[in-house]
Amino acid sequence: MLENQKTGEVIEASTSGYLAQCYELYQSPALGSLVKTRGDDNLDILGVVSNTATLGIEPGRRPIARGKDVVSEEEIYRESPQLYKLLKSEFDVMVIGYSVDGRIYQNLPPKPARIHGFVYLCTQEEVRVFSQCLDFLSLLLNASVEIPVEELVIATLREMARSYGSERRSFLIEAGKELAVLLSKDYVRLKTILRGLKYDAGE
Amino acid sequence: MSLDITKVAPQIAEMTARIKQERKNLLERLRLAYDKLCDEKLDLGLLEHKIKTARTPWVVAGLYEGLSRRFPFPFKPEDYTVVATDGSHISVDRHRTARCYLINVGSVRLQYGQNPLAELESTPLLYSDERDLVIRCGEGHNREQAIEGALLDIKRSNEELRKLSEMLDNPSLGGRILALMDGSLVLFGMENYPEFVVEEMLDRCFIKALDRIYQITESKELALASYISFPRSTDVVNALRVACCPFQMVNCEHNCPSGEAPCEMVAGINDRLLFEQVLNTGERSCLFINPSLIMKRYDRHRVYFFYLKVDEEIARVEVPEWVARQPERVDLVHALVLDQCRRGQGYPVALSEAHEQAVVTGADREEFWALVEGYFTEGRMPMVFSGKSRSKRTRWI
Repeated sequence: MLENQKTGEVIEASTSGYLAQCYELYQSPALGSLVKTRGDDNLDILGVVSNTATLGIEPGRRPIARGKDVVSEEEIYRESPQLYKLLKSEFDVMVIGYSVDGRIYQNLPPKPARIHGFVYLCTQEEVRVFSQCLDFLSLLLNASVEIPVEELVIATLREMARSYGSERRSFLIEAGKELAVLLSKDYVRLKTILRGLKYDAGE
Repeated sequence: MSLDITKVAPQIAEMTARIKQERKNLLERLRLAYDKLCDEKLDLGLLEHKIKTARTPWVVAGLYEGLSRRFPFPFKPEDYTVVATDGSHISVDRHRTARCYLINVGSVRLQYGQNPLAELESTPLLYSDERDLVIRCGEGHNREQAIEGALLDIKRSNEELRKLSEMLDNPSLGGRILALMDGSLVLFGMENYPEFVVEEMLDRCFIKALDRIYQITESKELALASYISFPRSTDVVNALRVACCPFQMVNCEHNCPSGEAPCEMVAGINDRLLFEQVLNTGERSCLFINPSLIMKRYDRHRVYFFYLKVDEEIARVEVPEWVARQPERVDLVHALVLDQCRRGQGYPVALSEAHEQAVVTGADREEFWALVEGYFTEGRMPMVFSGKSRSKRTRWI
C-alpha cells in the first residue's frame, strides 16, 4: 500500500472543517481531493478540499505586480527569491466523515481536528474504501463553502472517480443515481452537477 | 482629553508659511553651494589642508577622491548574495515589575542568479541578567552605566552587526557578497559616555564584530556597507563652508566671533539637497571620510561614505576603510546596493525584509508584557506597578 503524502498542516479548525497551510508554495491538493488528519481519541478526520488560496503571509502586505520588465513569470520568482517565504498557499477542508479502528463514519466527528495536525492526501485505496458509501453526498450538498456547492460536488466525485481506474464510469453512475434521489426536488442543481461530470462519465 | 487637533491646525498653517518663505532663501544657498562644489578653480590640495587644520564647531568631511566627481553605475550584477540585518527592541520599562529589555534582530540572506535562495529569520533575545542591564567598571564595580535609552540603541546596533558577522561566517556563502546594515556604521553618541562604556560597547563589541567581518573578507569577495535613506548630514556642505572661508587658517571662534561668517552663504542646506543637483540616477559621488571624533578608535575600519542617486532619492552609503581603499569593492557596493534598490522599489530589498523580520509592533509590546505578567502570576511572584503605570491601566473620572 502506498504511503500517505503529507500535504499541509492544520492552522484553524472547527467541527465542520479546517484550514491548512501547505509546506510549499502552490503545492495545495486539487479541489475535491480526499484528505485526512489525525484528531483526538485516535480517530482520523476525513474531508474534501473545498477551496485553495495563495496570499501574503502578513495581512498588511499585499503582493504587487512585478513583471513589467521581465519575460516570464519564473523570472519574477528568480529575481525575488524571498517571494517563496512571503507568500503562502492554504486550503480549506470540509469534513465529511471520520474513521476509528478502520470503521468509516460519514458524519461529522465528535471533536474537530487539532491545530498543527498534519494533513495527508488519502491513497487511492483509501478513497475507494471511503466512497463505497455515498452518504457523504448529503453533507456536501448542504455545505456552506466559499465556492458553489455544485462545483464542490463535481470536483469531489471527479477526484474520487480517478481512483477507480476502469470502473470510473460505474462509480459515477452510482453517484449520479444517489444525487438524483437527494436532489429529486431540485432538478436545476442536479442537472448542473450531472452536466459537469458528463465528460468524466465518458459520455 | 487627547490631542485637540483644531488647536494644532493654525500652528501647522503658520509652519507651512514659514517653510515656504525659507525655501526661497534655501534655493539661493543651494545654487551657491552647487557652484562652489563644481568650481574647477578650487585648489583641492589646499582645501584638504584647510579641512585638516580647521577648527570649526561643526564636523567637516575629509576629502579622498576629490569633491565633485561622479561615478557611473559600474556593472550589472548577475549572481550575488546579499546578507542584511536590522533590529528592533522593547525598552526597559521602569514602571513594570520585571527589569528587562528585548532585542529582536531580523536577518536576511538573499541569493540571486543560478541558484536563487532566500532565508528570512528573526532572533529575539531577552536580557534580564544584571550583567546585561548595567555596564560596570573599577575596583569593586563602583562605576556603572545602565543600558537604557541611547545606550540600548547602541547595544542593538552591536547585536545587528554581530548577527551579520555570524551569517557571513558561513562556508556555504560564496561568490560576490554584500553585507548590508541599516543606518550608520558610526555609533553616534558614543563619545558622550565614560571610557569604560566606550571600551565595552565599541571596542569589545562593535569593533570586534567588524574585525571578524574583515577577517572573513580575506577569503571571500565580500564588501560591507550601511545604507542611510533620506540622510540629513551636512559633512560635505561643511567642507564647502571651509572652501568659502576667506581666512587662511579656519578658526570660527577666533575669526568670526560675532557668528556672522562669510561661509553662512552655503549654510542651512544638507548634503542630500546638494547631491540631488549633482548626481544622475545610478551615479555615486566621490568617497569622503567621516569626520566624527570617534573615528580614531575605528582604526582600519574608519568610515568613508558616498552619496548615491537612487530613482527617487539620494542615499548615503557608508563603508569601512578596507572597502573604500579597494576600488573593485567600492564598485561592488555601488552596483549591488543599486541593484537592491531596483529590486526593492527604491530601497534595498534585503534591508526592507530584515526590517519586516525585526519589527516589534505596539501590539507585540503589549503581548510581551502580558506574557511576562502571566509567568509572574503563574510563579506566584509579587507584581509591583508604579502609580503612573496603574493610572494608565485603569483610567477613571
